[in-house]
Amino acid sequence: MSAELTLENTAIVTDSTCDPPARYWSTAGLVIVPLRVHFGSETYRDGVDLKPPQFFEKLAASRVLPTTSQPPRSEFEAVYRGLLERYEHVISVHLSRNMSGTYEAARAAAEGSPNVHVFDTGNVTTTMSLAVERLWARLARGTTLAEVTAFLERFYDEGRILIYTATLEFLRRGGRIDRASSMIGEIFGIRPLIEINRGHIDPYAKVRGVKRQTEAMVAYLERYAPRGRELHLAFTHAACPEGVPPLREALLAARPDAIVDVEGAVAAVVGTHIGPQAVAFALITEP
Amino acid sequence: MNARAQAIGLVQGALAAVEAERAYINDLNVYPVPDGDTGTNLALTVRAILDELEAAHGTGIKDVAAAIAKGSLMGARGNSGVILSQIIRGVCDVCSVTGSLDTGHAKRALVEGAEAAYRAVRQPVEGTMLTVIRTMAEAAQDVPDSAPLAALAEHVDRAGRVAVERTPEQLAVLKQNGVVDAGGYGLVVIFGGLLAIATGQAVQRVAAREGRAAEAAREVMALRPAELSRYRYCTSLVIKGADVSRDDVEAFVSGQGDSALVVGDEEVLKIHVHVDDPGAILSFGAKHGGIGAVEINDMHEQTRERDERLAVETQASAVVAVVAGEGNKKLFTGLGCGAIIDGGQSMNPSAAQLLEAVDAVAAADVVVLPNNGNVILAAEQAATMSRRRIFVVPSRSIPAGLSAMVAFDPGVDGAANAMAMSKAIERVHSAAITHAVRDSEIDGVHVARGQAIGLVDERLVAADDELLQVFRNVVGKLAEDEPELLTILTALNGSQITADELARVAQEVCPACELSLHEGGQPLYPILAAAE
Repeated sequence: MSAELTLENTAIVTDSTCDPPARYWSTAGLVIVPLRVHFGSETYRDGVDLKPPQFFEKLAASRVLPTTSQPPRSEFEAVYRGLLERYEHVISVHLSRNMSGTYEAARAAAEGSPNVHVFDTGNVTTTMSLAVERLWARLARGTTLAEVTAFLERFYDEGRILIYTATLEFLRRGGRIDRASSMIGEIFGIRPLIEINRGHIDPYAKVRGVKRQTEAMVAYLERYAPRGRELHLAFTHAACPEGVPPLREALLAARPDAIVDVEGAVAAVVGTHIGPQAVAFALITEP
Repeated sequence: MNARAQAIGLVQGALAAVEAERAYINDLNVYPVPDGDTGTNLALTVRAILDELEAAHGTGIKDVAAAIAKGSLMGARGNSGVILSQIIRGVCDVCSVTGSLDTGHAKRALVEGAEAAYRAVRQPVEGTMLTVIRTMAEAAQDVPDSAPLAALAEHVDRAGRVAVERTPEQLAVLKQNGVVDAGGYGLVVIFGGLLAIATGQAVQRVAAREGRAAEAAREVMALRPAELSRYRYCTSLVIKGADVSRDDVEAFVSGQGDSALVVGDEEVLKIHVHVDDPGAILSFGAKHGGIGAVEINDMHEQTRERDERLAVETQASAVVAVVAGEGNKKLFTGLGCGAIIDGGQSMNPSAAQLLEAVDAVAAADVVVLPNNGNVILAAEQAATMSRRRIFVVPSRSIPAGLSAMVAFDPGVDGAANAMAMSKAIERVHSAAITHAVRDSEIDGVHVARGQAIGLVDERLVAADDELLQVFRNVVGKLAEDEPELLTILTALNGSQITADELARVAQEVCPACELSLHEGGQPLYPILAAAE
């Protein structure tokens, strides 16, 4: 057993709530375990049976509201077992345990397998993809378990995402937003901004108008991305691909040094809880 | 010191601990019914034990154990109280038999307490105080019999705290509400109180749930009322000298409602059940023995009170605004305004009216938005008369008031809101368009009766026979500061122009502006506007 973790000896597992770019599904050494989305009695595997655009079409057409559920523990067990035949180590990174039982299921499945390491990213959607990207980069140059652990612990604290969403209805309905009473949207041109960090979904600001929304998002970036550190970004959207380029331009204008690691699209499970018409960026800095 | 005196000291410690956290435990209470009384029920159950102990004559450990068991059974209130009484009974049974309490005995006593609690509940649910006592009993078995009693107690205390923290993972309704189980939390509080007396240390707050978690729990609970019980009345009583078995009583009682608990023996049976017809339970009891300690609570009422209490506590600040026009009122309400007083130009509310509205909202601090220069004084006067802390944010127009509302956060105090809201209106220029009521000379401009006139920041900037022309000039004036956002509130009924025309003109005159156009419905002013 080698102490150095590399792309050759280490696999990454994540779950579909990282809202992955398409290439993730076919990357060797990277396995995405899908959560489930249910429309009435129909069950779909997130991102497998239902791709993002189809989901939002279905959401608009469906009379029943979808619900979501975590992958069964047995699925994690099978994935880990399969990977351990080819790899020495598995790093498994998942959405916040405050939002889903997925992390617990993965943890339970990893019991008795000392080389499977399960982490809570404290986040969800493209923020998780950003964690995957940074992990991948570490494996590509060779890393250690201690370094991976330290990074993912820091990621839990420092990885964050700011989301503009046209409707708060979905978040409210799921009861997944803290301090929801202070959050207002869909009236008087207000554009709510939501932040996710350390497992909490919180209102960040409410601003009026597109221009102020963009200004507030740039200000957020400046606030959490100290200059002098390497800045990595990820973007995503929920049924709103046209929203990403202007946001990316505004952020890159403010921080030309930023590196965009990944762009994804919100799939069914995250889509169920955030609804359509959302645009977001996630960030993490590196030394 | 005799066993009775020792026990009294311990129970006093437990009572002090649970009393200190009573309100918090009440607020945690969402399961099985969110009636917000778990803390009260546990405190009253512990108090009943203390009363019984103080009245008891014997001072030996067996007499004391019997008094504790009896007091807890007779005085048990609510689900949690009855389960607590069974835990205590199991513990006391072991003490009665052994006649002393060393580490080995205490380990057995905890197991018996846990088993008695499970036996009392027809369908045990995990993630409740049952799980907590079982975990504590299991943890006790890790401690060797040779260890001192204090070491056992501290180990069990820690295990209990961990078990409480884990309850949301076991019971979905807790997780959804962002709380730990109230009964389990209360049990650990009570145990902590005993431990504090036994070790001579101060009571440690269990609260891993301080600060953010507790605050979040309050807010979430207040917003999303948990499901009401199907049944309305929480009914409890004792039957003394029953002529039927416990099983028969349980069969009857559980057929009448839910959350049924029947505990005790032939001498005294304690019944707790949620039903719609408490009379049927009382009649049954009276038919089969002597009844006593009857208590009936309306849970729906309790749930409502709990929700109201939490709602009030949630909101640090509220806004009272003076607004005219149905559409405008909807905007204010939609932005979180707590109360609206009808009024504005030519119908200014009195200080008394303002005071009445301010005193009626449920928040510690109140921000008042006068939305008119002529109302600011009355608002300031009301502020000196109210028992609440009042902050007048001197908004001089309805659109300025709306801009202030955008900055309002009900979760922060009035001073912080007043600062943010005042800052928001500083960058707003307000405009109003109306018709002149008489010929006059205003700000050096001659105005004929019936002409449309436009004011920006209360100074006349335009007068014309055409409303649309005045609007054009007003927007032109507002555009001088290169605003980002133009808000227009219309009341175009009876006017020749449409909202679409206003939008078109606004875009022409101020193309860089984002437009936010709403039907305000205010009297006298076909158009109100603000630029920021």
